[in-house]
Amino acid sequence: MWHLTRAVILAGAAAFAFSGAGFASPSQANQQPAASTGKPLSTRVVAYSVEAKLAPEKHTITATETLTYQNLTGQPQQTFPFHLYLNAFQPQSTFMTEVRLYGTRGNGPDSGWDAKHFGSITVSKFEAEGMGDLTNKMEFIQPDDHNANDLTVFQVTLPRPVPPGGSVQFRMAFQDLMPEVVERTGYKRDFFMVGQWFPKVGVWWKGAWNCHQFHATTEFFADFGTFDVKLTLPQNEVVGAGGDLVSSANNSDGTKTLVFHSEDVHDFSWTASPSYQLVEDQWTGSAGTVKIHLLMSPGNMGTVPRYLSALKGTLKLFDEWYGPYPYDRITVVDPPHGALDAGGMEYPTLITAGTAWNMPKGALLPEVVLEHEFGHQYWYGMVATNEFEEAWLDEGINSYTEVKVMDALYGKGTSVLNFPFASMGEDEQQQLSYISQPDRDPITRFAWRFYGSNSYGGITYGKTATVLLTLEKIIGEDTMRRALHTYFLRYRFTHPTGEDFLKTIEEVSGKNLRWYFDQAVYGTNILDYEILNAHSDPINWYEKKHSFGPQRDDENKDQVYRTYVSVHRKGDFVFPVDVVIKFNDGQSVVEHWDGRDRWVRYEYERKSKVKSAEIDPQHEIWLDRNFFNNSYVVKENHRAVHKLGNLWLFASEWFAQWIAWLT
Amino acid sequence: MAAKPRTFLDGAGLVWRRQAVLWWIFIVNALLSIFTAIQMMEPAAGALNHSFAADRLVHGFDVAALFGLVAQPESPIQGPGPAFLFFSIVFMVFMLFATGGVLATYYRDERLTAGPFFEASGYHFWRFLRLLIYFAIALIPIGILAAIFGKLYDHFDETSISPFPAVWVFVASAVVVLFLLMCLRLWFDMAQIIAVAEDERRMHKALRRAAAVVSRNFGSLFWLYFRISLVSWLVFGLALQLWKNHLQPDSILTALFLGQAMMVFWLACRLWQRASEALWYRRYLADAFASAPVTEPEPAVSHAMAAPAAR
Repeated sequence: MWHLTRAVILAGAAAFAFSGAGFASPSQANQQPAASTGKPLSTRVVAYSVEAKLAPEKHTITATETLTYQNLTGQPQQTFPFHLYLNAFQPQSTFMTEVRLYGTRGNGPDSGWDAKHFGSITVSKFEAEGMGDLTNKMEFIQPDDHNANDLTVFQVTLPRPVPPGGSVQFRMAFQDLMPEVVERTGYKRDFFMVGQWFPKVGVWWKGAWNCHQFHATTEFFADFGTFDVKLTLPQNEVVGAGGDLVSSANNSDGTKTLVFHSEDVHDFSWTASPSYQLVEDQWTGSAGTVKIHLLMSPGNMGTVPRYLSALKGTLKLFDEWYGPYPYDRITVVDPPHGALDAGGMEYPTLITAGTAWNMPKGALLPEVVLEHEFGHQYWYGMVATNEFEEAWLDEGINSYTEVKVMDALYGKGTSVLNFPFASMGEDEQQQLSYISQPDRDPITRFAWRFYGSNSYGGITYGKTATVLLTLEKIIGEDTMRRALHTYFLRYRFTHPTGEDFLKTIEEVSGKNLRWYFDQAVYGTNILDYEILNAHSDPINWYEKKHSFGPQRDDENKDQVYRTYVSVHRKGDFVFPVDVVIKFNDGQSVVEHWDGRDRWVRYEYERKSKVKSAEIDPQHEIWLDRNFFNNSYVVKENHRAVHKLGNLWLFASEWFAQWIAWLT
Repeated sequence: MAAKPRTFLDGAGLVWRRQAVLWWIFIVNALLSIFTAIQMMEPAAGALNHSFAADRLVHGFDVAALFGLVAQPESPIQGPGPAFLFFSIVFMVFMLFATGGVLATYYRDERLTAGPFFEASGYHFWRFLRLLIYFAIALIPIGILAAIFGKLYDHFDETSISPFPAVWVFVASAVVVLFLLMCLRLWFDMAQIIAVAEDERRMHKALRRAAAVVSRNFGSLFWLYFRISLVSWLVFGLALQLWKNHLQPDSILTALFLGQAMMVFWLACRLWQRASEALWYRRYLADAFASAPVTEPEPAVSHAMAAPAAR
């Protein structure tokens, strides 16, 4: 999910006319995913088969679900928890309670309640094969906060346990009432973005069931498996889904039924709207050809070239840097205007982007969002970490790779904003998002236990990215890339932990980095170094000067000066730094300070005065909270202040003249 | 009555001839703004004057650097916001005060020394304050209309699949609201001129007369007002383009001159409207007197308002 913490190029793109059967085409319908050609890519724990019918005017989905669960836990399992995410969108849910307290990520509901955001999922029947109807055995549980009004998790205890290595088949009947778009799911006019819409079993992880309630700041966690989804909906709907279209058939009642199949994924989402325009393209990488489907909303066709360019560029760089993209498709959903709440979200092989008809070329929001959501195909989709408990592993790593990819594609320093009068780079944006609340929470905190949504966003996304950017200074950019490559290849289609990630970096770099991780990842330490002072004093300062007029020490080449440079560690984050001291004669000295003490003073005796002192001259320590105090130039330079003052003066004068218009 | 064809240019000529008015108002405007700027610059100097990072603000405009500066706990540029508003309101009060003198200068087309200028200003101050209150009341229905347009926009934004119906509603409502605001300003401008020209003490009467004059001559008066607004926006837009595209990011002095030139021009355009309206009204009265069948009415002259001097 892209955290919103942001002139359209009109160009033609190959838009395919929709022919009444989703975006099905014969070639597409027959094409099997790369993942299905050989052995499974993942350990398939679950096999979902869902038959659903959409009633657009009622905003409801009526469905049956068959879930086959393989008990690979190594022990008998009798109690199974399930997520019912849509029940979060109710006024007394834990989700809304937290929204009321501290807001939510992105553009979710505000702290007030609006009935249009009401959503629900009701399981009317629950059976287990060979164990009969267990509907009355369903009980809602609240493992995180004991809020009895929260109905986002239920569990069922079976009459008898499922043995290790055995399997159980659950059959459920359920109905969704979709909310108006909230937290990236729901409807808006004729548009439907259907995510987290079916009962989903929890994950047996670290020796226990992991099935958290839905929170204002959490996302998801699920096991890999296969999905066979049969959707029945009006024939005029253009449909996109996180699976391959297997078949499509029109029904006599004006509906059509589409069958999708997906494997080695842990979720399935879909979208429908009669207003979509489908744009198809493809890209070929190391794992084969990937079909690209853009589902464009009215008014946004001008963004198609931007989306395609960003997507192909991202696919290429991820393929080169981190590993192959093994699926044969990627679907990009462009939400219609007024439904941007559905934008900026990731599901396996389906992502939602976001733009506006009037998006200026220099504002790279569509590119950033698209890159970020595609990045989640790796950091969430394949490397399926626990988004409830370790959100930094998907959002944070993804924000870091967002910096690398966006900078490579759109230029360092201009990869977020690129206007003649203003610019901003991705690395700067990530740093900015965290420095306003840098010490409320450690990166590793469970997502719903952050102080608030701002702290969650700033730390999980911004700080993690900044920590990894700073890590490049210690182990090098290439090593960092290799570490991520190794991490991806080693842990794709599994559920690694934060320690797995950190140990991989240590292993690849060959360095013990605990001193850094303890502060940056597990701690809330603030990194802020400053040059306290830099000045030079004639060594014979006590001697009287007999010449008249102003003393100009520099003119005396034999004059020796004693120079002092004081460096201060303002924050509690200890980090070794380089300090470059330059003198007026053009010479310079580089000092390496381990940063352990609170301050250090360097002293020199030279025939030249100090000109400047600067910490981290290469600007590699992105975690440093304040770049402005990293340097001290002896000779004052007023240009920046004058420029700011000039702009301030201009704005103030103009504003005052506008106010005076009233008189 | 149609506007005299040269009123538009003659108004500009009048501003030029009486440019002391322009410069003095500009100086007040600039001085008050300098106070707010100083409040920001002084603390910012401590953070920027000895820092290499300050270059990020000079060579190009690094938005992240500016936000980074603002985000610091001891940020030097978080504080001056209230001063910004305060000094703007001070300028508004000053303009309310000075309008009497400005209109007297333009209506009479003669140089007023400080004494007569401030005398005229003070003489009309309370009248114009009452007019300001009427103006605020008159803004209420426009505000209500704008709110209705807002609801309409929301409706289209909510219900339309395409973004464009709402956009067009926004454009149309902006045009309508802007038109009404200009009409309102024109009406009150004329009421102020009537108050000065005829020493009208009762502002409701001045408003009634102004309404009659404006409605009878709406086309020519609105065109006069609108043309000057158009010129000001066009020149301002061109200057912004120049600033954005052709000025080196570190050309601070040039940017200062350009920015101040823009401010002078913006202010001059507002005074141009005032001068043109005053000129128009003087000619309007002259025409009325000339066409009067029997006797010319005695022009109302106060101690603060003499008859127009020979030009």
